[in-house]
Amino acid sequence: MSSLKEILTRRPVAATIRLTVPAGAARPAPPVGPALGQYRLNLMAFCKDFNARTQKYKPDIPMAVTITAFKDNTFEFTVKSPSVTWYLKKAAGIESGSSRPGHVIASTITLKHIYEIAKVKQSDPYCQYMSLEAICKSIIGTANTMGIKVQKELD
Amino acid sequence: MLSDALLCFGASSASMDEPDDCDSTDEISINSIFTECQDVGACISNAAGSIGLKDMPSYVVTMGEHCDWIKKTQESFHPVKISEDLWIVPEWRTPPDAQATNIILNPGLAFGTGDHPTTKLCLVLLYSLIKGGEFFLDYGTGSGILGIAALKLGAALSVGVDVDPQAIRSALQNAALNNVGPQEMQLCLVDSMGNPLSAVGTTDGNVKGQSSHGIRLVAEKEKFDIVMANILLNPLMEMADHIVSYAKPGAVVGVSGILSEQQLPQIEGRYMQFLEGMSVSEMDGWACLSGRKRITKYS
Repeated sequence: MSSLKEILTRRPVAATIRLTVPAGAARPAPPVGPALGQYRLNLMAFCKDFNARTQKYKPDIPMAVTITAFKDNTFEFTVKSPSVTWYLKKAAGIESGSSRPGHVIASTITLKHIYEIAKVKQSDPYCQYMSLEAICKSIIGTANTMGIKVQKELD
Repeated sequence: MLSDALLCFGASSASMDEPDDCDSTDEISINSIFTECQDVGACISNAAGSIGLKDMPSYVVTMGEHCDWIKKTQESFHPVKISEDLWIVPEWRTPPDAQATNIILNPGLAFGTGDHPTTKLCLVLLYSLIKGGEFFLDYGTGSGILGIAALKLGAALSVGVDVDPQAIRSALQNAALNNVGPQEMQLCLVDSMGNPLSAVGTTDGNVKGQSSHGIRLVAEKEKFDIVMANILLNPLMEMADHIVSYAKPGAVVGVSGILSEQQLPQIEGRYMQFLEGMSVSEMDGWACLSGRKRITKYS
């Protein structure tokens, strides 16, 4: 939460930019380049910072970045890991969820997959207060809506 | 919400400008960038439909100039003072202090303008280390800034290594800008495991050119008095043996590009077996670790 002092000294915001960048692979080329360049942000500083902060993720996973550009050409950014649905699709090895979830099963994954996904999601800003168990339950719920069955172990 | 939907349907990015106080606050404009081959209209209508907007938002399609954004970022580079008599100056500006050692740079699309805390940390370290006549290896050379700085400060030879051909090109250009010849600076393109792919002398504009001296020098272990690697945590961890192997026993190895809080302890743990007398300098949350290569094996 911002302190009162922070709110009073908050710099005027020029723009909010949203991008998808592969983890550890930010380059000044498009899409990063044009999007940040038009606000005169220091591309290299962003790439270095972003790459350093995403070292703990598997390389090239598409990360959702939100950058706040201030009028004095400085910037801040937050990084979110990909959506749970993206991870589930990867784990299940499918391109898209089932067309009739609940009736048609698209694929199957194990509890271990859920656990691994939950561990990654735990470091996301909006999940940090949730227990691992709660995150797992939420992921299983998402899997159900996609028609992905969760089993204890693969046969 | 619309910007999220646009991203889902194929936009490369979506930026929202903050409305100025005097403008009406009903309208917010979203700039979205698409790659050339995409159907902008279809993407926008899909995005609008998915979040329940009844009308199509009005939009204007402009073809962006490729070099526009490059030019704009270049405008933000200013001369940087590293110490009393060492400055880094972009090619298109005049050095503020003509008497000092000035390194002229055109960073292009490679990393290293002197601006970033990690570059500054490395430069300060170099400044304190170089006495004259050293062999210097810059692992992850980017724009070549560390290599060129070392030469200007008195090193005998600099070798720059990078995995990005763009970086090698950029470093070649910058070496030429600073009148650094092939005898003084060698550049080598390597793959992610450190195996040399090709090497160039600085008069050769073609990255694929061969310079046997460069490859031989890079392939020679224990030849360098100072080795620096300003890259990222993962390559620093994986390639620790490789990077340190280039240093003479007792030589200084410096690594940076690591976040002080989250990444420094890992790096310290990893490099402890190779280096003694380790010290850390920090700036703005970034750290630079340096130490001397152990002469005897760590037990």
